[in-house]
Amino acid sequence: MRGAEDAAYAQLDVKVFVLGAGLVGATVVEALHAGHHVTVVDLDPRPLKPLAQLYDVATVQGSAASGRELAAAGIGQAGLVIACTSQDEANLVAGTIVRKLAPNAITIVRTSSAEYAEIWRESRLDVDFVVSTERETARAVSQAIGMPYARQTDTFADGKIQIVELDVGARASGDVVGKKLRDARLPGGSRVAGIIRGGRAVLPDGDAVIAPGDRVVAIGSPLAAHQWCQLVSPSGADVRDVVVFGAQQLGAAIVRALVDQGISVRVVEADAARAALVAERLPEARVFNTTGLDPGFMQREGIARVQAAIFAMRDDARNLFAATLARVQGVPYTIALAHDPVSARVYETGGIDVSVDPRRVTAEAIVRFAHDPRTQQVSMLEGDRYEILDVTTRPESELVGLPLREMPIQDALIGAIVRNHEAIFPCSDDVLQAGDRVIVFTESSRAAEVERAL
Amino acid sequence: MTLAAPGRAGPPARLGVDVPAALNLVGSLVKYLGPASLLPVAFAIAHSEPAWPFLAAGALVSGFGLALERLTRGAEEVGIREGYLVISLVWLVAGVYGALPYMLAGNHQLGRPIDALFEGMSGFTTTGASTATDVAALPVSIQVWRQLTIWLGGIGVVALGLAVLPRLRVGGRQLLESELAGGGTQPLSGRIRDTVGRFWRLYIVLSTAGFLALALPGWLGAGRAMDTFDALAHALSTIGTGSFSTESHSIGAFGGLTQWTVVVFMAIAGMNFLVLYRALFQRRPREAARDEELRLYLAILVVAGAAVAAILLSRGPEHGEAAIRAGVFEVTSIVTTTGYFTVDYGHWPTFALMALALLFFVGGCAGSTAGSIKVVRHLLLARVLGREVERTVHPELVRPVRLGGAVVEQQTLLAVISFVLIYVAVFVLGTAVLALDAAFHGPHLNVLDLVFATASTLANAGVGLGPAGTTGSFAAFGDPSTVAMTLLMWVGRLEILPVVVLLRRSYWQL
Repeated sequence: MRGAEDAAYAQLDVKVFVLGAGLVGATVVEALHAGHHVTVVDLDPRPLKPLAQLYDVATVQGSAASGRELAAAGIGQAGLVIACTSQDEANLVAGTIVRKLAPNAITIVRTSSAEYAEIWRESRLDVDFVVSTERETARAVSQAIGMPYARQTDTFADGKIQIVELDVGARASGDVVGKKLRDARLPGGSRVAGIIRGGRAVLPDGDAVIAPGDRVVAIGSPLAAHQWCQLVSPSGADVRDVVVFGAQQLGAAIVRALVDQGISVRVVEADAARAALVAERLPEARVFNTTGLDPGFMQREGIARVQAAIFAMRDDARNLFAATLARVQGVPYTIALAHDPVSARVYETGGIDVSVDPRRVTAEAIVRFAHDPRTQQVSMLEGDRYEILDVTTRPESELVGLPLREMPIQDALIGAIVRNHEAIFPCSDDVLQAGDRVIVFTESSRAAEVERAL
Repeated sequence: MTLAAPGRAGPPARLGVDVPAALNLVGSLVKYLGPASLLPVAFAIAHSEPAWPFLAAGALVSGFGLALERLTRGAEEVGIREGYLVISLVWLVAGVYGALPYMLAGNHQLGRPIDALFEGMSGFTTTGASTATDVAALPVSIQVWRQLTIWLGGIGVVALGLAVLPRLRVGGRQLLESELAGGGTQPLSGRIRDTVGRFWRLYIVLSTAGFLALALPGWLGAGRAMDTFDALAHALSTIGTGSFSTESHSIGAFGGLTQWTVVVFMAIAGMNFLVLYRALFQRRPREAARDEELRLYLAILVVAGAAVAAILLSRGPEHGEAAIRAGVFEVTSIVTTTGYFTVDYGHWPTFALMALALLFFVGGCAGSTAGSIKVVRHLLLARVLGREVERTVHPELVRPVRLGGAVVEQQTLLAVISFVLIYVAVFVLGTAVLALDAAFHGPHLNVLDLVFATASTLANAGVGLGPAGTTGSFAAFGDPSTVAMTLLMWVGRLEILPVVVLLRRSYWQL
């Protein structure tokens, strides 16, 4: 990845161009407008106006795939260009054009299919980062599956570190609930990074107490994350048997991600030709050609006994209907794709356990990278107020050599350190070293400050 | 009053098949068969036997081929459609060619035209069923000719299986369509020439290896081993998976070591030559190890061999190592449709005989010199049946049938199922004809005898039971049965469908 050592980039006031003002573009603008000069480019003037009003960003009506129009918009001065229109090819063309017009700019390209991401990974696309909706959606869903009842999970440092966000149930273990954290018997190799109570999040110290009804953000090894799930939601068993409704592009990507994890997956697809194709491409999955709206089929196949059902059809209303039917049949855990931003709330009211918005997870992946090329992943927890940063400490950072308890930064918590390829879950006596990769839990408003300090 | 001449007014019904082109290809293929008769000529001269029948036969077939080619000159574009006619005729002409020396020599065992044709067809279809009652008493040149027809038939069968049948889409063979058979634009004649050209080398190497392995113990002075002549004769028929022998007791005339050697070479001859070619000549042995058909084929040999050997060990009449050897040998002989024997299996327990009767329907791998249904079709059939059984419980399930990881098309699967059904139907029909003939003209046959005779000729295996068993010969059957079995060998070799296709009016019409 070019520009990873680009020191100038770490500064603020970089000119950022967001090409495409759709849902992904808007989410990206929302996350980046604070510290940067953002210009949004879209063919359609309608979505540009509200963005300009809301976030005080410059807007240009023009084509992302037109070199002349981009040059006129001043893309030559750009430090970062994010091509996130709804068209893969336009985004790739934009990425190529920008490489010529602004050779020093970092380019991020959004694609829908995982194929372009693979081509990029093989260094055959000259852009800095490719984010694929298929991959991000599949990852979001499989993380939600791998950790049942976790509201949100994320992995860092090649899976050595996991962050889980859990609702503390009434049956949560007494080992963690109702005790001061310094006395509680927490799973080894983990820390509580945040407690969210009544819509307010706090970075806890040793005196904090977890209560039923809270939402807890824990950071730790995969094993510890798993133990956290068991402790906080005791019914959450290992997921081994999953059914996926809908095997179009996103559905198939989810199925592939799940079978890769060794989960036994059944797939329900209404279109016969598509079902045959998926059965051919994914021999590990069992494919059924029927709609997800057939109670007779669900009964016959014992769908009620699966541990989780994923609804990845292209129509949100159909997803909700099928998920409700599945819940009526007794499916304990439902995850649905929300293509419309409104659907997430409708799903929640309808009783769907987790909703995944493909465009939102795509935007999150873009923002994660855009924040800082050194920052490899940033989760936006609870609507942007908190972020988890993954930063490598510079040798000249003034924080190097300080024990954690003397850290001058407020409202930030170091959840984990990766040193010599090993994950450490530090206590307050641990000392930061140069070259440490640190996972920091921080308020969004202080993210840039934290990055600079490290 | 005048009546219009019915049907005369319109243009004559036009043929949809380019018969001259087909005949041209037949001629250009069979003309190469003639020179083969020079080998028995050499033996005839060496043993002061009459050489002219072979010379005449060779001259006749080559002359016939050349004449056919000359007469149909200008019509050389052979398409898929003509292919069915071509292969049917080629094997018919080859069968007649094989029969000519027996008839011309007026041999007292094989000289009758019906018997001679049976023997000739048996050779070129690599069956090995014989109407000779005492093969050891046959003149040496005739013996050589019998062995040679099998060997020549064998390379023809390889070309048929690897280049022709896949293109004719016979019985689901299209799934084995390799780069050899290809859907390409090369004409059929070119494909056949290419394939024969490529596998000729492998065929010679395997035959030479077989010859050396069989001859070596004799040269080293081991007891009951083959002499050079026997080794040559049996190497020719083993690689062709036919069972003509120079001995009345077949391989039973030789010792245990020789018998085990023959087992190995029978097993090799039953493998797909394309897989063998890649493993030996292109250094891709991994492909062979992953080949699902090959693995199942070997598993069948081991399991069936062990089962029959176990029966013999516990129930007799064989004992100890001899029982294991006899069981494994006969199982390999029948699965590969070779048809040799080492002992008189006619006295084996019924269970063992039943097992052998079933094994006639297995066959070797596709692309080998073996006959019958072929292992790959059984593999696919089992997978289709497994899927259909599963679908009765899960009606909405979509599960493609795979072979070697690749999905097999529905149409191919249907073709495989159809082939197996037609194969069984022809078997039943053939058994009925033989039973009817036996009822009127004898000999006395029990059910297993009938099953062996029909299944073994249809599968091009050539072992018989009862009157046609180890001590008898197919001469025991009446003439109608002999003709019927000649047809069964011919139809079985061509995998039935090309001949059935010829019987349909739609084949000939435009």
